[in-house]
Amino acid sequence: MIESSPSRMTALDPPVLEARDVTKRFGGLIAVGDLDIVVCRSQIASVIGPNGAGKTTLFNCISGFYTPEEGEIIFQGYPIHGLRPDQITALGIARTYQNIHLFAGMTAMENVLVGIHSNLRATPLGALLSMPLTQQEEEVALVTAYELLEFIDLAAEADTLATNLAYGSQRRLEIARALASNPRLLLLDEPTAGMNPQETEETMVFIRRLRDERDLTILLIEHDMHLVMKISDQVTVLDYGRKISEGTPDQVQRDPLVIEAYLGAPADELVSGFLSNE
Amino acid sequence: MMRHRLQSVSDTLRTGLSAGFVTGLILIFLILIGVPIRLENLALFSLLLTTAIFGVRIARKLRDDGLGAILSNALVAGLVAGVMLLLLMALVNRWQARGIDVRRFFDAVSAQTVTVLSGVPAENLHANPPIDPLTGTYVEGKPLRTDPFRLTFDEDTALHLKFGMTGEAVFDLNLIIGGLYGFLLVMVLTSLIAAMAAWTWIAADLGRIRRRAGTGLVGNPIVYWAIMLLPLIFFGLFWLTEGQGAVDPILKMRSGKREAQLLIAFLIILWALVIMRRAQPNDWGLGYRARVGVVAVPVALILLVGVGRIVGNNSTFIATGDEPRGSQTLSSVALAAAGLMIVARSALVMRATGRFESQFAQALSLAVLLIVPLYLDQYQTDVMTLVGINVMLGLGLNIVVGYAGLLDLGYVAFFALGAYTYAFLSSDQLIYDDQQQPIGLKFAGNDEAVIRMAGWMTITVFVAALVIGAGLWWWRKNRAASGQRRTGRAALLDTSPRPSFGVTALLVGLAALVSLIVALLLDGSSFYQNLFSGASPFLTGLVAGVLVAGIAGILLGIPVLRLRGDYLAIVTLGFGEIIRLLFNNLRDFTGGPQGVLQIPRPVPPNVSGPASYLTLLYLVLLGAALIALFSGRLKRSRTGRAWSAMKSDERIAQSMGVNLVQSKLTAFAIGAAFAGIGGVLFAARQRNIFPGDFRLDVSIEVLSLVIIGGMGSIPGVIMGAIVLIGLPEVLRELATYRILVFGALLVAMVIIRPRGLLPEPPAEMAERARRLAGVRPAPPEQEAEPR
Repeated sequence: MIESSPSRMTALDPPVLEARDVTKRFGGLIAVGDLDIVVCRSQIASVIGPNGAGKTTLFNCISGFYTPEEGEIIFQGYPIHGLRPDQITALGIARTYQNIHLFAGMTAMENVLVGIHSNLRATPLGALLSMPLTQQEEEVALVTAYELLEFIDLAAEADTLATNLAYGSQRRLEIARALASNPRLLLLDEPTAGMNPQETEETMVFIRRLRDERDLTILLIEHDMHLVMKISDQVTVLDYGRKISEGTPDQVQRDPLVIEAYLGAPADELVSGFLSNE
Repeated sequence: MMRHRLQSVSDTLRTGLSAGFVTGLILIFLILIGVPIRLENLALFSLLLTTAIFGVRIARKLRDDGLGAILSNALVAGLVAGVMLLLLMALVNRWQARGIDVRRFFDAVSAQTVTVLSGVPAENLHANPPIDPLTGTYVEGKPLRTDPFRLTFDEDTALHLKFGMTGEAVFDLNLIIGGLYGFLLVMVLTSLIAAMAAWTWIAADLGRIRRRAGTGLVGNPIVYWAIMLLPLIFFGLFWLTEGQGAVDPILKMRSGKREAQLLIAFLIILWALVIMRRAQPNDWGLGYRARVGVVAVPVALILLVGVGRIVGNNSTFIATGDEPRGSQTLSSVALAAAGLMIVARSALVMRATGRFESQFAQALSLAVLLIVPLYLDQYQTDVMTLVGINVMLGLGLNIVVGYAGLLDLGYVAFFALGAYTYAFLSSDQLIYDDQQQPIGLKFAGNDEAVIRMAGWMTITVFVAALVIGAGLWWWRKNRAASGQRRTGRAALLDTSPRPSFGVTALLVGLAALVSLIVALLLDGSSFYQNLFSGASPFLTGLVAGVLVAGIAGILLGIPVLRLRGDYLAIVTLGFGEIIRLLFNNLRDFTGGPQGVLQIPRPVPPNVSGPASYLTLLYLVLLGAALIALFSGRLKRSRTGRAWSAMKSDERIAQSMGVNLVQSKLTAFAIGAAFAGIGGVLFAARQRNIFPGDFRLDVSIEVLSLVIIGGMGSIPGVIMGAIVLIGLPEVLRELATYRILVFGALLVAMVIIRPRGLLPEPPAEMAERARRLAGVRPAPPEQEAEPR
């Protein structure tokens, strides 16, 4: 991956996700404009940018919450824009959220089981009659869910309501729930938000483990530059909905446009609240 | 731990003393300011005050000590107080009966003290005449007074317990307590009710209690089972001894008897619910055969008692045309078959999972529930039927509101559709106009038109299903043979491949054609007549009612898919009213406000009276049990989890792969179908139905029972139905204040237990998962389908 730009990699490895000229408008505001992104298999790709740059909007377009007005989103060779979120999940894209959105009234176990939903085939009738196939499937799902909880070190709290879990556990549970759908591509929206440096470090290791052990491709939104630069194979920088830079962490760091966007070189540019957070 | 318990026992005793002290002070104050005190008012007042003070203390202790400590304290303190009281009573009675006058000590306090203490009015507390040594009986003389140490009981000399704030009793309990044994029984009864109440709390807070396991009474299986058996003992005492000559009933009830019996029937149901939840998945170290035996023997015994009741009292619930009053043999056989099924089910479950205690509790509870209806009279049966129907409605609405979180205020519509469907299919009634001229349809069960319609529908559905099934099979086989694989987006979306639109259209067309031809061919012959003329209108009505309601559920679901919360509530409310107004205004078809009359019960036409009531009750119980079973299974299934996720957050659920359209429609359809069953049974119970039976109130009532019982909780809904539908019937004594008291109860309930009486505890799956994972260490099926 040394010095290889994503476009060159596509020749070797087919892209898992490809966004072409994606535009999403809210009224007159262009949240995402003419965006191109290519994410290749087993990459960790990051999307960074100041607040309001359109990162989460991009995620929402990919996961089907928004339908882009223009452009197309190709997943594993097939266009997915315009599909419903549940269909997109069934195809193999899972995501987490910037603000944790667990199912509060359900236990950790149940949360993960909902994640497995799209991999199960049981019908209500099968459940009513307690058909053998349904039971078998349910047992497999239960074991799968339990193993996922073990994977994130939460097996001991499998029967705890999601709301009663510690913050860090909730973050991990959300990832486990996303993993439960057995995705090819995982979208992580600020996985380290609200974490201290040590937890951030642990999360970084965890994300690498995900990629390596579960053969995942990961698209990441992150504000922690240290983490982004260390972990990413490819970084895309957004500002005002446009892509202003793209490349390896090194390339991006040296890009004057990026520095301008973040530091606001001309004094009248936006003052990023982000750097002060750092 | 022992020390801790002693400590809290003394705490409780102190609480009691201080409660009594405060009560006494207030009473003295009242006397001083000139409030006239009558005995029964005094009793009521101190009871209320003590309860209030105890209630506050218990609530406070609850916060500090947890339920286990409270329960053990309550029991210990009750026991101590009870024993002391009994001793005192026994002494007073015995001395008095032997002519030793101890009355004057008590009379120094008050003329009535001795009455209260001995349970016998003062004027009757005279010495008994001497016993004739030859005959061993009392010498003739003064009327014989209750002897506390004999099971003889004289109703006229016993204390009548009445409650009232004025001279006239407002609420006459009609409990006549005779002597020592009567009081003993009352003690047992009160502590039983208290224990059950406390237990309900515990069952409702299982998680918290588990963490305290081992402390106090809760963790002790012997005490647990002892309490568990108390209702059985009580049940036996209460009914089995009644009217059997040899043993006089200890506790007699006069006019309030049937309400009290009903109340006890309800208590037994609640007890069963609590027991079933409380039971642990232990196996108690018993072998499989021993476990089955331990389950089978008590079930058999209980059912034997039931058979005895059937034979002894002719409480039959299955009637044939030959035996209009019901067949004892058939009823007994049915009871035995049900018992066998209960035992067999427990045996199966225990073989698979090794659980004993919970299965034992379930089997025992079900067996008791099975024979309870045999002990009810017609009025009680009717109330129970109503409660059962409301359980069905509640469980149905629970799926829509409790599981899927869709606030449906027009739920009564499906209830009405079920009821009217059965009515249309079974009633013989002609609809008349104002001049008494028949203007409408004749809804005869065996009407030719209806039979033809049913025949057509059945045949077309059957043949079409056959044709489509065969076609699909052929298509799949062919496709596999040719190795054809579709590519592109469609293939990605289809994890289980489906035939293309063309193939589907062809199949459907073919199916329609063939079924039409078959149906037409059969139309000329007497096939339909043969098929349906013997069919029970009830079964036809039941199937049709469920289908109609279910389809209506989907039809309502489609337009409201995008609505949530308040908006959904308004639209469904409108839907409910529309259906009612349709039934009201489409006079020619539905009979309008005059309703549909003469709907048959699900028994042969010449059967009436008790057997038909009891049949209906058993059908309702069966239906409610099935619906409860189905609800539980759905809840624990993929569908149920999707509902639950949807209720929590619709958008996130969708992004987890939940198909919102499918999930919502399924919830609406299943909920509506359950209401349809309820409607059919309601029509059968009422025999005449009117649009006015299906007002908005019904929706609200069902919704309240779901909320009060505990949303999403099956035992909660059952309890809600009993509290909301059953209690008002039992409390008819309170007459006009009924609804007022009831409203206050609801408000208090919602404040004290905002999550319902028996809320659903968090699902416990980890244990099972661990076991499964241990048994089957194979990795999960990650690559089950091609991507």
